[in-house]
Formats: sequence, C-alpha cells, structure tokens
Amino acid sequence: MSIPPSPTGIDEMVDGQGGLRPHWRQIVSAISLSDGGGLADLSQRLNDAFDNEGVTGILPGSGRHSWRCDPLPLPIPAGEFAALTEGLAQRAELLEAVLEDIYGAQNLLADGVLPPAIVYANDAYLRPSHMQGPRRPGHRYLDFYAADLVRGADGAWRVLADRTVGAAGIAYARENRRMLQRVIPEVFRGTQLLQLRPFFDIWQTALQRLGQERAEARRFQQSQFQGQTQFQFAGQAPAQTGPGIALLTPGTSSQHWFEHMMLSRELSCALVEGGDLTVRGGAVFLKTLKGLQRVDVLLNRANARSLDPLELDAGSGIGVPGLMDAARGATIRISNDPGVGAMEAPALAAWLPALSMRLLGEPLKIASVPTLWLGEARARETVWRDPAQWLIRGATDGRSAAIEPARLNAAEREALLADIAREPWRFAATPAVAPSVAPCAGPNGMVPKPVVLRIYMVFDGREWRAMDGGLARVIESDEKLCGALPGEGLSKDVWILNDERSDIVGPPALPAFAVAIRRTAGDLPSRVADNLFWLGRYVERLEGSARLARATLHRLARGVIMPHELIELEALSRSLEQADLIPAEATGILGGGGALLSALMGSLQERGRNSGSIAWLIGNVARLTEAVRDRLTGDMYGAFTSGLRQIRYSARHVNGNVELLSQTMVEILRFSASVAGLAAENMVRGGGWMFLELGRRMERARAICSQVGFALEQPPARVEPALRLVLELCDSLITYRSRYLTVLQPAPVLDLVLADDGNPRGLAFQLVAIADLLDQIAGQGDRTLSAVATGLLEDIQAMVTRVADAADQSAAASGLPEPLHGHASRILALSDQVTRHYFALLPAAQTLGSGEAAPSFRGAA
Amino acid sequence: MRYRVEHSTRFTYADPVDLACHMVRLMPRELPYQKVLSSEVVADPVANRRVEHVDHFGNRVGWLFLEQPHPRFTVTLHAEVEVAFPAPPAAASTPPWEEVATARQGGPGQWQAAEFAFPSPMVAADPDVAAYVAESFPAGRPILVGIVDVLRRIREDFSFRSGVTTIATPVGQVLAQKAGVCQDFSHLMISGLRNLGLPARYVSGYIRTKPAPGTARRRGADQSHAWVGCWLGSALGWVDVDPTNDLIVADEHVVLGWGRDYGDLSPVRGVILGGGAHSLDVSVDLEAV
Repeated sequence: MSIPPSPTGIDEMVDGQGGLRPHWRQIVSAISLSDGGGLADLSQRLNDAFDNEGVTGILPGSGRHSWRCDPLPLPIPAGEFAALTEGLAQRAELLEAVLEDIYGAQNLLADGVLPPAIVYANDAYLRPSHMQGPRRPGHRYLDFYAADLVRGADGAWRVLADRTVGAAGIAYARENRRMLQRVIPEVFRGTQLLQLRPFFDIWQTALQRLGQERAEARRFQQSQFQGQTQFQFAGQAPAQTGPGIALLTPGTSSQHWFEHMMLSRELSCALVEGGDLTVRGGAVFLKTLKGLQRVDVLLNRANARSLDPLELDAGSGIGVPGLMDAARGATIRISNDPGVGAMEAPALAAWLPALSMRLLGEPLKIASVPTLWLGEARARETVWRDPAQWLIRGATDGRSAAIEPARLNAAEREALLADIAREPWRFAATPAVAPSVAPCAGPNGMVPKPVVLRIYMVFDGREWRAMDGGLARVIESDEKLCGALPGEGLSKDVWILNDERSDIVGPPALPAFAVAIRRTAGDLPSRVADNLFWLGRYVERLEGSARLARATLHRLARGVIMPHELIELEALSRSLEQADLIPAEATGILGGGGALLSALMGSLQERGRNSGSIAWLIGNVARLTEAVRDRLTGDMYGAFTSGLRQIRYSARHVNGNVELLSQTMVEILRFSASVAGLAAENMVRGGGWMFLELGRRMERARAICSQVGFALEQPPARVEPALRLVLELCDSLITYRSRYLTVLQPAPVLDLVLADDGNPRGLAFQLVAIADLLDQIAGQGDRTLSAVATGLLEDIQAMVTRVADAADQSAAASGLPEPLHGHASRILALSDQVTRHYFALLPAAQTLGSGEAAPSFRGAA
Repeated sequence: MRYRVEHSTRFTYADPVDLACHMVRLMPRELPYQKVLSSEVVADPVANRRVEHVDHFGNRVGWLFLEQPHPRFTVTLHAEVEVAFPAPPAAASTPPWEEVATARQGGPGQWQAAEFAFPSPMVAADPDVAAYVAESFPAGRPILVGIVDVLRRIREDFSFRSGVTTIATPVGQVLAQKAGVCQDFSHLMISGLRNLGLPARYVSGYIRTKPAPGTARRRGADQSHAWVGCWLGSALGWVDVDPTNDLIVADEHVVLGWGRDYGDLSPVRGVILGGGAHSLDVSVDLEAV
C-alpha cells in the first residue's frame, strides 16, 4: 500500500522542526496564561464538572465511568475544515446512491461492481427494506451522517469509518463545548471560533420539514375519506395539527441515554421507547395520557434489527410490530432509514473510488484509509506476507474493534489466519498506521496522544451541512482504533477557527405554522407519567422508612427499654416488617432488640438487598430519576443525584455504628424534603408534577393508615403510649401540643392525624389532595377515581367522629386497627386503578411461529 | 399436474387477544413451471388491515392486522395450482462441482445465486455437517451426481421423526441424532452444500397428501413441507431436490416460495398482545384434481 506504517503519527501542534503550528498559538498562550494552576488542575476541574452533571447519565454511585473532556481543544482552520466537509458531503451522497441501488435495482451487484458478500453476507442489510416495486418519489435513506477521520503521516485526513446508524457522540461534543466555556472561559478569549448551535437548528428544521410533508399528506387523506371509519378508532386524540416527531431510544439501559435525552431536547422531539408506540391502521402512534398521537417522523437511535419483531429479529423486546409496514406505506418516516447500517461496512471503502465514478461521475474527494477486502485472493496474499503491519476488521461489521495481529501471540495469530481462510469474505484489512497525535493534559504538562476526529453532517432538504466542530476521541494505549464509540473515554472539543472569509451562519427560519397554546400536558407519554408516579411513591416510601427507622433507633439507642417504649417498639417493628424493611424473624425486641438493630443495619446493605430495604428503595429512586431525567430541570436532577450520592456514601460508612445509622436516616429525610421543595417550587403544575405528587400522596396515605393501625393494636389500657407514637410518626407532636398541651386523648390525636385536612402529615390532607389531583388529571373525562378518594375521606372522618362520640374513647380507638388496615388496602386498590386507567400496561406481547422463545415485551398499543 | 391446496392454521388463545399482526407467506408464487390458477387467503376474524407485497426473494407476502379482541384466529389458504417441473439434466453431464463453487464471487450470471452460498441465521456453518456432505463430492464429480448421492445418504442415515427437533435445532445436533423432519434435513443439506461454496436455497411448499396410484405415501405430507433448491451453474440454473423423500422434485410438489432458510419463509408469523397461553392447530391438504 502507498502509506508506509509509522510508529507514531505526526503532531497536530508542532510542525516537526520544533515550531508551533500557527492555529495553535492562541490556545497555547491562553492555556499558559490561565490562572487555574496548570493543565492537570484544569483537567480535574473539568472532570468534576462532568461528574456533577452526570453527563453520561451515571446512576448515582453506580460506578459507571463517563466521558471526560481534555482541557486542550483540537483546532482546525476553517479552510481546512471546509475542504473536509465538502468531501464528506460528497461521500454521504455517494452512500445514498449505493443504498438506493442495493435496496432497489441492484445493478451494482448484477454488473459485478460490488461483490455479493458486501451486501448479502452483511447483517445490516435488511431484506425487509428491499421490497420489489416502485420506489416512493422523494424517499431518502440518509438524513444524517458522521465519519471518523485520521490524519496520516502525509498530513491528509482520511476516512477511517462511515457512521450512518447512530452517529453517536454528538451530545458529548456539545457538552465538551459547554463545559469548557463554563469551566475555563479564559481559553476562549480572543479566539474566533464557529458555533455548534446552528447545526441543531438546521437539524430541527429538517425534521420539521419531513414531518410537515407527512402531516399535510395526512390532512389530505382525512379530507378525502371523511366519514369512513377506517381512519378512526377508539382512543385517537382529536385534532392533531403539527407534525409528530419522536426520538426512539432503547431506554436508560443504553450507554448513550444521555445523548438521546439531550438530542430530544435540542431537536424538540418526544423521547420515546418502543413500548410507547403502537401501530393502528398502518400508522404509528404515541400513547399519551390523552390518547394516541400520530408520529410522522421517528429519529431512530435503537438497533435497526430490533425495530419490528414481526419482520426483523423476533426476540427483541423493544420493537414496534408493524413499524416496517408503516414505513413502507410512508405514513412514517424513519430517519435514518433502518437499512442504512449496511453502509458502515469497513470493506466498502475498497470500492468507493470506483463507485464514485460510476454513480456520481466524479472522483472521490476524500479518501478512505487504504482498505483491502480479504475475500480476494490477492489481498489475502498481501496481508499474509506480514500480518503485523495490518489491522484486521470485519468486512461488514463496523461496530467491532479491529484486531491487531501485532499484539497477538503466535497461536492467536494462527487461529486468526485460520478464521480468515475459512470465511475470507468476512474480513478486511487496513494498514496499521499511527494517527496524528495532539497534546493532552497529563500529570506533568502536555502528553501527545493519538486522536480520531468525528465530524457530523445533516441533510437540510437541499444539501449536506456540517456541525462546525466535532468530537476528537483520544485513543489511549489500551484502546482500539476502529469500532463503535465506547461508553466512556477521553475526548476533545474541536474548534473550527474562523477566518475572515467564512460566513457567520445564522439560525434558519423556522417552519411557519402556529403552535396552539396549551396549558395542559396532554401529550405526556403514559410511560413517563407511570415513571413519575412511581418516583413519587418510592421517594415517599423511602422517607417513611427512614422515619420508622429513626423512631426505632431512637428507642433502641438508650440501651434500657422502658415499659411504654416496649409497646412502641412492638408497634414500630410491626410497621417495619409490614413495609418489608426487616424480616419477620427480626421483630422480637426481647434481649434489647439486637436482632431488630442488625436487621436495620442490613437494610442498608447493597449486596443481596431485599425488595423493600432502604438500599432497594434508593436503587429504585435512582433508576426512576434517570428514566424521567428529561422531565426534570437541571437543578432538580442535581438535587436528586447529589442527595442520593450523599446517602449512599453515608450508608457505606455506617459500619454498625448506631449513631451513624441514625444520621443516615436524617439525611434521607432531608433529601426527601429538598426534593419535595424543589418539585413544589420548580415544576409546572401540569401532567408531570401531578403524577409525581399523586404517587407521593398515595404512598403517604397508605403508610399513615398502616402505621396508625399497628400502633393502636393495643388493649384499651395501653392506648396512651400508642397515641404518642402515632403523633411522632406523623410528625404532629408539636401541633398537638400547641393545641392540647400535654393531655393525650384518643379523639383529638386521631382527629389531628386522620380527619384534619389542614395537617399536611395527616391522612385527610392526602385524600383531599388525591381527589383534587385525580380531578385535574381527568379534566373533562370520567371522575369515578376522584370519587373513590372522596369516599375514603368521608369514611375516615366518620370513623374519627365515632371515637369522639364513644363513651370510652380508648376502647373505641383500640377497635380501629381492622378498619384502618382495610383503608390501607382500599388506597392500594385505588393506586392500581390509576395504573390501569392511565398507564394501561397491556399483557405481554408474544411472537408466534418464529420458532424463538416468546420475548417479554413492554406494553404497546 | 393440477392440485387443490388447502392450508389452515388455527390459533386458540386462553384469553382474548387485544391486538395482533400476522405476516403470512402462504400464497404460491407464479413460476415458469407453476401456474397459479387461483389463490386466496381467508382470515377469521377478518383483518382490519391487509397489505400484500413481493419480498426480497420474489415471494408473495401478506400482512394481517387485527385490532379487535378475538379469542381465536384462523388463516386459511385456498389455491389451485398447475405444476410441471422441467426434467432435470442428466446428472453425469452436469459440470464438476468445483466449477459451480465459484458463485460467491458474484458478477453477471451468478450474483443472485451467490446470496445462497453464504451462511444464514438458521443455517450456520458446522464442521461435522460440512464433512458429512463433502463425502459426496470427491474432486471433479459432476455436481448433480454429488447432490443425488447426498439425497440417498440422508434417506438411508436419518429417520423421519417429528418432535425430536424444533425450528431452532442446530444442524450439528440433527446430524448427531440422525433424526428430524423436513426442515432439519433441508437445513442440514443446505449447510453442507454452502460450505463447499455451492449455492443452496430453502424451498417452502407442499407435497401431495395421497400418493399417486401404485406409489408409497410421501413423508411430510399433510403439513408444510420444505426441500432444497440446488444451483448447477449459470447454464443449468436451479434444480429442486427433496432430501426427506430422496427424490428430484417433479410433479408431486407445490412451491410457495424460497429463501435462505426457514426464517425467510415461516408461513405464519405473528405478534400478539394478550392471549395468554395459546394452542396451534395446522392442517394441510394437497389433492390432485
């Protein structure tokens, strides 16, 4: 091949004669002048900033690593960058033309221009996308595209990999810029660099345009077929005017979840999972609280093979049955087309120069790294001569890292060569060239490290436009050059330095349709409402558990248990057991309550944690916080994560110390209070807040019923200590004292904690709030659910009145546990009704006739 | 030969199914040697939406979407077909198999056949199966002589037994247990041929239920049948052979379509919401008229 392998690549910053390249001068002087105390310090400040904002969506304390940003950017002069993007625009058009052929007439195969293996032995070639028949006019496969480039020893950038599927990393590029600007603004001083923002505006406009086309076609169809039932069905939301645009993500389990969330915000589209979508009458709908809303454009960030279990991989639990049919019928535009993965095949590079001449009639403007397809005997001979000089890549698999024969021992190398000999068409080879190096922050100043540059492009309807920046991935010595973007790593901000000639791109005009003013959140996806509801319930349960544990510890810590405390502890341990905080065998308090204490300690254990334990509750709160992150403000998300981290940190350091355990409980109570405060002050009183609040109120109502019930399970003579405990658990001691001084009597206590709707820690307050929220959520709809809550309230108030009117209040109070436990069950039943009515988790979908095990499926439809 | 086909697939569910979509490959395709006189797919209950297309392989494929709750679902093909497969070439006059084994290179004349020379999701390469089939292909042997030899050996070495395999049973296991049904024998033979570089495709269809007068009843009747299409080079094209019955397909088979393996052709594939446990009842009748 033409480029001799070199041990280290050329240096981006210095020119080989010890001189600084001109476009680096500004950066180097700014860094050296920065008042941060050196590169290592800047680097640490950036790491902290990334960590605090959880850029990769780290679950607090989960130990998952994240992307980090190096303080030194990679500058590229605007002229050089323009030449690169011009070449990439041509390349994207070339890939578009290749896609049109392989999913259409297949002339490239018939004429022998492309070997069949590149298409037919390519897992990303989706046969369901190749249906015979005429193409729809105006159809495109690629709307966005990214390329990985490396600079060779000759100074030229070459394409290492084409990225047509997810083009991941765009959010990291944007975060890099944002964080650098915030943490070390001095570096930007005096630098003219192009902005990233216009790219997102262009992309959003392009998506809107695609959606408008479909929305218009839909309105036309509806006017044509008015009155016919085939376009109507139960549950369809009326009068949807604007286009529906959604970003499909695999969910929080995806290593790029943060990016999906950020993109959905930047591009103003709904963030959805497969289970949120359903196909009816050949069109795709998003299930929201107010019914089904049409989706016209789906920005796909899920694996193409999992999109539709009917036509593609049956085992995927995240697909939407019928989606491919809808896409073929053009009722939805999937962007990029699911079939584009075939263009990530590394071996394709070997034919691009010829394909460019044939399909575009012009030479390829930007070369690939030299690539050999090992399906050809001559290529195999070349590689065989000195395997150590080559990187071996999958011929059609662009996601896996390259194999470096130079790093293999003799036996491994033999095995690799045998694999290649058996199925040679599966492999490609690239010379093991060293990419250029750029200076990175090291412990003692700058360290040069190899970089791979990723550039992002989007098609605006007429032409390809580049993001004026990119992601420069730093390849550490143990990392592989090729393959998909990993879940963690070090990257650099990419600066496109403006010179006099370049235009400043302003934001493009937004599409001219008026958005109807809305004050409700009717389009809240049901799954998001479900998650918020459960987040509310778990935060409250966590708080309630901490309250119970603190009350218990308080009594155990004194060492000597007084008789009245014995009664209280019995009631507490029953409540703890009922809340699944401790196992049944730990409820005995004889012998000083040692078993109870160690059970409470055990509840913080993360390993082998039981459902119901505090560690388990924290885990659920963390998981749900992540899942609804796109609905929380940055401050709220920060309050959740920093609070949870602090709690986890404290929990790990308890080490059997009762005092520290108590303190951890206090931290939990503070966490819960700050979350409640932020929710009350920062969240709009729309759908999202209502469900968070509803979950919280329901959980608290249920807990009050159970705890008061357990406390009152006493003979009438022992009711008084039980009443004190009731007031303590409901945080109502001070209020009680201010009303009644120290006289403890059943009726006033029960009135305060059960019937007084002015006490935010009392039951009546919760039930009033629940009824009110259910009314608001129902809107003009069915109000049976709020009537259930009102009925509960009336019953509880009647119950307290009966105690007050009784001749012997204590006897009446000790008869309450049974009706109170019954009340708790009715509250849980109401919660189930809410779940069924609004979140409608349907029974699992099953696959028939594919011969594979039935997948477990989230409810769709 | 003219046949009347009736193929009925009936699902009965423990609970009603709320929403279902089925992809059916039940319509026989039109071929130079197969005239489709009539064909109709009847769904019960009637589908809310029906779509039909020709797939990547040229097969007819249909979609049935049901949006009303239903306790059972039946889909039935009624067709009348006239078949007259061309006589196969004289085996000894076919080219040496090595000449056909270059198909993977593609290009004019063989690019379409090449698709069937690579492993596919349900027909993985297996060293034992490769060795088993390769025994029938000593150097220079005419390709059809080798194929006929494989047919004979499969018939002799394997027993036809249903229930010992599933659709997902790997070919290596079928070889080890020397038993299976038509899909297994077809997948096994395809895997071995592809290993040699020979294009081989999976053909789905039916075989006549009642034997012709004076012949034995065929295996694989009264259910979906499968056999193997073998490529003999660009001059001779494809010939269909039935490893389950050790014969070259002539006038007892009706073709629905072909693909790389069963996965490309499952006759009824569906995704349902709800339903709980389900039971499946299939009946096939291919009667000469």
